[in-house]
Amino acid sequence: MKVRMVLLAAGVCVLAAAPLLLSDGLVNAAISMLIAALFACAYNLLCGQAGMLSFGHSAYFGVGAFATIHAMNAVDGAGLLPTPLMPLAGALGGLLFGFAAGWFSTQRTGAYFAMITLAIAELLHAIAPQLKGVFGGEAGISSMRMPAWGWDFGSTTEVYYLTLAWVLASLAGLYLLTRTPLGRLALGIRENSHRLRFLGYEVHRVSVLIFALSGMFSGIAGSLQVLSNESANYVMFDTSLSAAVVLNTYIGGVHAFLGPALGAALVTFFGYAVSDLTQSWLLYQGVLFVLVIMFMPTGLAGLLDLACGSARRYGARAVAPAAGLYVLAGGAYAAALVFLTELLQRLFSQDYRSLAQAAGAGHWPPVRMFGHDWTPLGTWTWVAPAALIVAGWLCWRAATAVVRRLQEAAPAMPAGAAGMASPGRTA
Amino acid sequence: MEQLATPLLNGVIYGLLLFMVSAGLTLIFGMMGILNFAHASFYMLGAYFAYALQDVFGFWPAIIVSPLLVGVVGILVERYILRRVHRFGHAHELLITFGLSFIIVELVKLFFGNYPVNYRVPASLDFAAFTMGSLDYPAYRLFMGIVAIGMFVAIYLLLSRTRVGIVVRSAIHRPKMAEALGHNVPRVFMGVFGVGAAMAGLAGAVAGAFYTTSPNMALELGVLVFVVVVIGGLGSLEGAMLASLLIGIVTSVAVGIDASLADFMALFGAGDLAREIGGILVLKVSSLAASLPFALMLLVLLVRPSGLMGDKE
Amino acid sequence: MKSPAVLKMALLPGLMFASALATAAPVKIALVETLSGPQAATGLTYRAAVRYAVERINADGGWHGEPLELLEYDNQGGPAGAADKLKAAISDGAQIVVQGASSAIGGQITEDVRKWDLRNPGRELIYLNVGAEAQALTGDKCQFYHFRVAGNAPMRVNALVAGMKQDQALGSKVYAINQNYSWGQDMEQAIVDGAAAGGYTVVEKTLHDVGKIQDFSPYVNKIAASHADTVMTGNWGSDLLLLMKAAKTAGLKARFGTVYLDQPGNIANAGDVALGNYVAQTFNPEAAGEAGAAFMQDYRAKTGHEPTFIEPQTVFGMLLVGEALRQVPAGDGKLDVRKLALALEQASIETPMGKLSMRAQDHQALLPLAVSVVSRDAKYKADGTDMGFKPVKRFTAEEAAVPAQASCRMQRPD
Repeated sequence: MKVRMVLLAAGVCVLAAAPLLLSDGLVNAAISMLIAALFACAYNLLCGQAGMLSFGHSAYFGVGAFATIHAMNAVDGAGLLPTPLMPLAGALGGLLFGFAAGWFSTQRTGAYFAMITLAIAELLHAIAPQLKGVFGGEAGISSMRMPAWGWDFGSTTEVYYLTLAWVLASLAGLYLLTRTPLGRLALGIRENSHRLRFLGYEVHRVSVLIFALSGMFSGIAGSLQVLSNESANYVMFDTSLSAAVVLNTYIGGVHAFLGPALGAALVTFFGYAVSDLTQSWLLYQGVLFVLVIMFMPTGLAGLLDLACGSARRYGARAVAPAAGLYVLAGGAYAAALVFLTELLQRLFSQDYRSLAQAAGAGHWPPVRMFGHDWTPLGTWTWVAPAALIVAGWLCWRAATAVVRRLQEAAPAMPAGAAGMASPGRTA
Repeated sequence: MEQLATPLLNGVIYGLLLFMVSAGLTLIFGMMGILNFAHASFYMLGAYFAYALQDVFGFWPAIIVSPLLVGVVGILVERYILRRVHRFGHAHELLITFGLSFIIVELVKLFFGNYPVNYRVPASLDFAAFTMGSLDYPAYRLFMGIVAIGMFVAIYLLLSRTRVGIVVRSAIHRPKMAEALGHNVPRVFMGVFGVGAAMAGLAGAVAGAFYTTSPNMALELGVLVFVVVVIGGLGSLEGAMLASLLIGIVTSVAVGIDASLADFMALFGAGDLAREIGGILVLKVSSLAASLPFALMLLVLLVRPSGLMGDKE
Repeated sequence: MKSPAVLKMALLPGLMFASALATAAPVKIALVETLSGPQAATGLTYRAAVRYAVERINADGGWHGEPLELLEYDNQGGPAGAADKLKAAISDGAQIVVQGASSAIGGQITEDVRKWDLRNPGRELIYLNVGAEAQALTGDKCQFYHFRVAGNAPMRVNALVAGMKQDQALGSKVYAINQNYSWGQDMEQAIVDGAAAGGYTVVEKTLHDVGKIQDFSPYVNKIAASHADTVMTGNWGSDLLLLMKAAKTAGLKARFGTVYLDQPGNIANAGDVALGNYVAQTFNPEAAGEAGAAFMQDYRAKTGHEPTFIEPQTVFGMLLVGEALRQVPAGDGKLDVRKLALALEQASIETPMGKLSMRAQDHQALLPLAVSVVSRDAKYKADGTDMGFKPVKRFTAEEAAVPAQASCRMQRPD
């Protein structure tokens, strides 16, 4: 417990010190990561804790965003609330719309529930561009942050601290919620709603409440995005945003409280960092998703749990070589994948094909990649990725051998250590 | 009457195209409980394989080989990817198909480029079947309709009259019992997934020539296919046919209706009031044509969530 | 955030900056475009054109001997991503932001640039709009640091009408079908406004959802029922392609007047359907004569393909900026963006199509246009087919221009 508090405090300190250490561009990325983390945790309230998989959560994010932008533009641009309190408008919007949508959606369960939430979001997405007064057409609505309480909110640093304050407060709120009876009831809904009904609870009412609270916190996330970008656009209602939050949550791990936050932060950063480096970054992201879901069903939080658990059982020094080998293997496979993808992308591109045509039949001009020229039929061009794949495979085998040796040496497995041998829990 | 005939016929044919793609999806869902987000990507793959093979084999062999290839892809996906995550629960299966849809689209973009490719109707089918009013009705549309109906008949007969079909249907309703009786249920699942993918591939091979073949194909059709499956009833083939036709006709006819809710209210004398309020009330039905399916889906989900022809929960 | 391909270009000014403090600091140009996702095709085309242009400006000496540095950012196809990457570009020191693939993103960028410039005098940046043609950007959203070097809806429609009329292909009944967003609505308005001068009546106007419609045959039925002679549309991408295909399979006799028919892939995909239809272009190699041919050859040699669609206007717009840069004194080594903006307002260059200049009133460029018809007789073929765009009528910048909008109230820095 103490260790957790210390780690938490350290984390908050690092976050607070970020603007002093990072460039403006990275501080901006950090703001996006914080917002994504909050959205994912808000979603997890509904999905991981109450077990209701919603596919249209972008609706509540978007409603919160538009509520905020209208609040910012109200009173001739002066704003309905002082800037630091603006997310309350988003919270209210998300809460009210969450109540309305939740009342309808929670009447069904399972796949039908998911479909209803999808339908609501899609309908909103389809109608929004038509209602120009409310949603501003495809250019969206823009606004400006007004100075308040002594700050002018013109610089990225101030926006960062505002975002950080709200995200920390909301996460604290969400965590405290898990400690209340309502939070426990949510777990009950996930585990066995029939039994809950027999115990006398109004399951529908509880579900609506949970839905509305999840909508409220999503609305806060939406409003923080609007404060950062000073504009709101109806593309926020797109299914890709709904899908992104589901993916972030599962990649992070639905069973740990901060799991979704971790997943969202990493995926956002990945998109931010890699999207400028290569055209095929969506392919890498897709492959990463599929691999994580296939091999790490409990998400990254589960993986961390596993690593810490193993370190505690076998001792860090024993586990370290295995962990290092796994990382090396992963790195080698990733490098091979990147190499092959970039090579194929260049070979099949329109420009290369016209260059090849111009060069004549059978003659393949070299391809420029990573600062080198590679000939398509040259040995190194194919030996390099092959070597990487072989190296990765060898490292993987070595790592599994080390783990197996450790497991054989200490056969009694304490309960709760989610090992490689046992399948993960169902979502 | 003639004004209505063309949109009606067009709507029917478009609905039949939707059916070709959604039939596989509804079967897969009915059997395995997996909502396959990558299904529309199989549609796209069918079109691209047919385009690639058209230059090598010609049009007719291409549209036969292409669905087979897509079926193989489907089988591989089920065997090596979906089966692995099956025990983690529905959410994980769903997410993996979502990730797969990304991968497939990006791979297509990698090999074929970002622009639409030149996959065209062959000269042998590029004529007008008959004229309706002042416009021609292309024969290829009728061809698409015939292929769709043929597919429906074939699958229906397969499921209801053959031994394989009985095994498949029993695996849908009582997988454990079917397994206990000695049938290889995982193999049946694999087969159904492959056949579902092949159907979507055939739809793509046939439709890609008429409509454009581009990396955005999957996106454009994807959500609509879900709407069809939900309205028709998850798992019901007849429901999918009914819902596809309904959606096809509704979208087709709606384009011709320039009235709005305000005009409707004018019948009761509240027209001016409605126009003053503005907003949704003055939106023309024709501009909302593409959004009507979602409204229908929401309605069905609230009133009769098992769909028009699905089993009552 | 630099693309690997331009690392060398970035290395050189970096070294020079480190070695000698008295030399000019490199001018950084940030391309914030849609480089991935569904609309990537267009964004990548803009990138190719901007890379070519920057190379050419650097070959001509850059800014007082200092090469320009190109930074590339992927806005991931949406305004939120664009806002993020713009902030990254600013943090990396960019002074000029270039974008063109979407009017929605253009709207976001121009507002963000305006707010940044307001809050950070002395560290301003310019937004060079190479393709977002919505009216609002030089209308109620116009601002001092935004410059559009592309066309806009009224310019395109007026040219199209005049060109088709000259070819006697216009007729008296026009059907307007457009996408239901700012660009499509601007087009519809322009088509309606041009009716009197063009001598036609707009028999019906339709707006449809963007990128959602697979089956355009109901719309083709409506067009046939209205007995229109010409269909005018600002549609692009699959919306244009599917509309034309549906029209052809139904045997619709009407002619199409378009803005984006020359997008790569359209002619190849449409096939014979495209013949006899018109397009208003910013560049036509046949109309541009010798200079045009030289430009085509040079572009092909450097990039591997011929410049089409939005590439020429992007290149010429960047060259206009290069010209303006020449007018700005080196000063203490760092580019004064305010002076660049003032110079750009008054800049003009000769392009293979004619004179290109900037209008100071609303920062809309005055550019020459050409109206072409798809024909087998064209000198330059498109998309590897036997068809190309044959110019029918050329317009100088003055002839093509439309007056500035009254809604533009530009606040000038003083």
